[in-house]
Amino acid sequence: MSADAILSSEEGVGALKRLATPVSRRAYAALFALFAVGLCALPSFVSGYVTTLAVEVMIAGVFASGINLLTGYTGLVSLGQAMFLGFGGYGIAIGTALLGWPLWISAPVTLVVVAAIAAAIGAICTRTRGVEFLLITLAFSQMFYGAAIKLRWTNGSDGMTGIPRPDLSLLGVSADNPTVFYYYVLVVAVLSLLMLWRIVTSPFGSVLVGIRENERRMMSMGYAVANYKIGSFALAAVICAVAGILQSQYTYFVNPDAMSWQMSGEGVLMVIIGGANVILGPFVGAAVFVVVKQALSMITEEYNLFFGIFFMLVVAFFRGGVLGSISTLIGKRK
Amino acid sequence: MQPFLIQLLNGVQLSMLVFLLAVGLTLIFGLMNILNLAHGAFFTMGAYFGLVVANKTGSFWLALLIGPLLPFAAGFVLQFFVLQPLAQRGRSTHLDLALLTFGLLFATAGAVEYIYGSAFHSIVTPDLLKGRVALLGIEYPIYRLFITAVGIAIAIALVLVIDRTLVGATLRAGVDNREMVTALGININVLFALVFGFGSALAGFAGVVSAPVMSIYSSMGIGIVVTTFVVVVVGGLGNLKGSFYASLIVGMTDTFAQAYLPEAELFAIYILLIAVMIFRPQGLFGAVGRVA
Amino acid sequence: MSALEIRNLRKAFGGLQVISDLDLKVPSGQRHAVIGPNGAGKTTLFNIITGWQPPTSGEILIQGIPVQQGRPDLVTRGGLSRSFQKNMLLESVTVLENLRVACQAFDASRHSVFRSCWSFADVVRKAHFAAEQMHLDTVLHRNVNELSYGQKRQLEVAIALCAEPKILLMDEPAAGTSPDERASLIKLINGLSPELTILLVEHDMDVVFAICDIITVLSYGRVLATGTKDQIQSNPQVIEAYLGQHHA
Repeated sequence: MSADAILSSEEGVGALKRLATPVSRRAYAALFALFAVGLCALPSFVSGYVTTLAVEVMIAGVFASGINLLTGYTGLVSLGQAMFLGFGGYGIAIGTALLGWPLWISAPVTLVVVAAIAAAIGAICTRTRGVEFLLITLAFSQMFYGAAIKLRWTNGSDGMTGIPRPDLSLLGVSADNPTVFYYYVLVVAVLSLLMLWRIVTSPFGSVLVGIRENERRMMSMGYAVANYKIGSFALAAVICAVAGILQSQYTYFVNPDAMSWQMSGEGVLMVIIGGANVILGPFVGAAVFVVVKQALSMITEEYNLFFGIFFMLVVAFFRGGVLGSISTLIGKRK
Repeated sequence: MQPFLIQLLNGVQLSMLVFLLAVGLTLIFGLMNILNLAHGAFFTMGAYFGLVVANKTGSFWLALLIGPLLPFAAGFVLQFFVLQPLAQRGRSTHLDLALLTFGLLFATAGAVEYIYGSAFHSIVTPDLLKGRVALLGIEYPIYRLFITAVGIAIAIALVLVIDRTLVGATLRAGVDNREMVTALGININVLFALVFGFGSALAGFAGVVSAPVMSIYSSMGIGIVVTTFVVVVVGGLGNLKGSFYASLIVGMTDTFAQAYLPEAELFAIYILLIAVMIFRPQGLFGAVGRVA
Repeated sequence: MSALEIRNLRKAFGGLQVISDLDLKVPSGQRHAVIGPNGAGKTTLFNIITGWQPPTSGEILIQGIPVQQGRPDLVTRGGLSRSFQKNMLLESVTVLENLRVACQAFDASRHSVFRSCWSFADVVRKAHFAAEQMHLDTVLHRNVNELSYGQKRQLEVAIALCAEPKILLMDEPAAGTSPDERASLIKLINGLSPELTILLVEHDMDVVFAICDIITVLSYGRVLATGTKDQIQSNPQVIEAYLGQHHA
């Protein structure tokens, strides 16, 4: 088993496997069902503040899920995924504000463009591995961050405003209503999660896992490994772009900070906390992260300092993430 | 627009500054396989500490001498008490440690912001190096020539130490086979920590040296560190000589782009990086260190 | 046409000549061993054959087709599969998954993102078959890191078999195994299809004599002799090179 904090895979899944006895399975399913119902009914029994917090968690979870595909499942640790978050937001901003397209055109077009750009960037970046890959993804995202600040037709560092939320008038509701927006994000998040689960359990996904485990052996087996890495990079980028679209719709604006190295770092941390290589991991990580961030910002202005220390502690001590740590606890009790 | 010669000299000067940063990073990576993403923090630390010394003593030279001591200590402590124990405990992948330094980057960015705020500071050029000198038909600031000279001197000194001295040989041996070196009675942990401290001190030194020509501000490390990363990747991770040549290439590219194509200045070095990555992913001069 | 043919192979690392003027012809169905002291160039030879390293000069032909350098995946496609000296397994997944992924490599389904990988019954069936061939059917659902070393070596070979190769290269398959595990391995390898060509690198002469008809002796990157066990054992050059190391 690999020693990387974020690449330790089996503790989370192992825990689930150990729960496979009939009684525990039913209990687990019941718990899950309860949680699902709770999610659906959330806005009706909590305050507006908690609802918006839940929206932030879900958006962050989608972003972290994209990172998880590339990092947790394929084993490519990138510090530049925020660039695709920014592409998503800027994509629909450019589409709706500058080109005058309705949202239902600019959103898919954005995702297609992101996939193409990501494939190109991925083709370059995946020629490297390990720390070099880390550096070069960071460099790329810094390049786009700089471009976003400089470009005048996207308003430079002020960013673009007036990002539209989806037009749900056909359903008789307005997405400007926080509760309605919550359900919109919930639907998108669930769909993204399902899509990710499908990818990961498919043959393509199994190849990605194999690449993480032993890339040389996969080549020896006969796989054109480079293509799969690029594919993973592009798919991860699209998922991150979806999060970017949601984020810009949530705040009604997008600015270069969405593409900063800090944003990439936050995403990676969420994956580590929640447990890489586990489907729900990124959402758990996002929940922990958002809550801690909120708590921290109420206590102190020096968010970066504490965040940095927290990050270092997590990397140093968390093996397998929160889910992994829990399963280790369960295992010990047996 | 200034004459070509001035641009050339500016390019070399920037190259030497970037080299001072890149060499610390690549030295640490080449010898210990650690990528310190927080390297820029030591640059900033050196500059601010030098500022404190300069303000207290009024002497530039003291600032230059004492400024790098803080990043040296910080680097030593980081390696000896944090990174080394983690590496030995089985968290041996370099990726883990790189991520750890990424967290450090956050922390130091926050800490500097907290202590110094966002104001801009500067250190005054010392009298000895003030003014300009007539050179081949142009007038060029003496201080910039000083930076260039210092960079080249350090480059030569490093090559000599690593290739020709016992210390250098011990270091190289220690990377190949640490048990053997330890068995020979050499405390390899202290040696590695000293190297880490030294690499960080070089960054801090660059911070002080650049202060009279660039401003000191809380996010100064971030801007120059990405350029440093590009240099290190282009030169080949861990390749000392490679980073020297790469510094020249990147420094020149950046300066000339800024002079002749200001709009594309930002992209010039990134395009260089992309081109190198496409055609020679191991760096123009080949990577020497083990890539995780 | 030989299954595997090597012509005038040379490999130098800088000034060090690792392989010189190596010629080898392995006819289809032959069980061929390559032996030699450490440093004789055996693993380098394997790396060159399988496309992991380029030769300085010379040709490698697999079933008559030249090997394309830098593309080990295409070498496997061409019918030559390899097992490694150090276990190269997918450590944190199950034995069955290792085999399934290996069997999936040439199946059209490998690009699919729309269905579960277990829904492709063909591939799963092949994986089960490969497991049976190497007696791993009892540990199919165990994680690789729970296996004994001998079982891992078996899996190492089983994965190479999943590619349904015409030629199987095995790099010290018995390395580090106990006598029981070794006997088991020998039996399994001898039980493989007689049409399968096998090229074997081994230090353990028991394994070599039990499996192989023809032996090539390498020394300092050159072929000293090629022949049957008796021919090799009575060859004066071989005896000289192996003085003290010869299997008594």
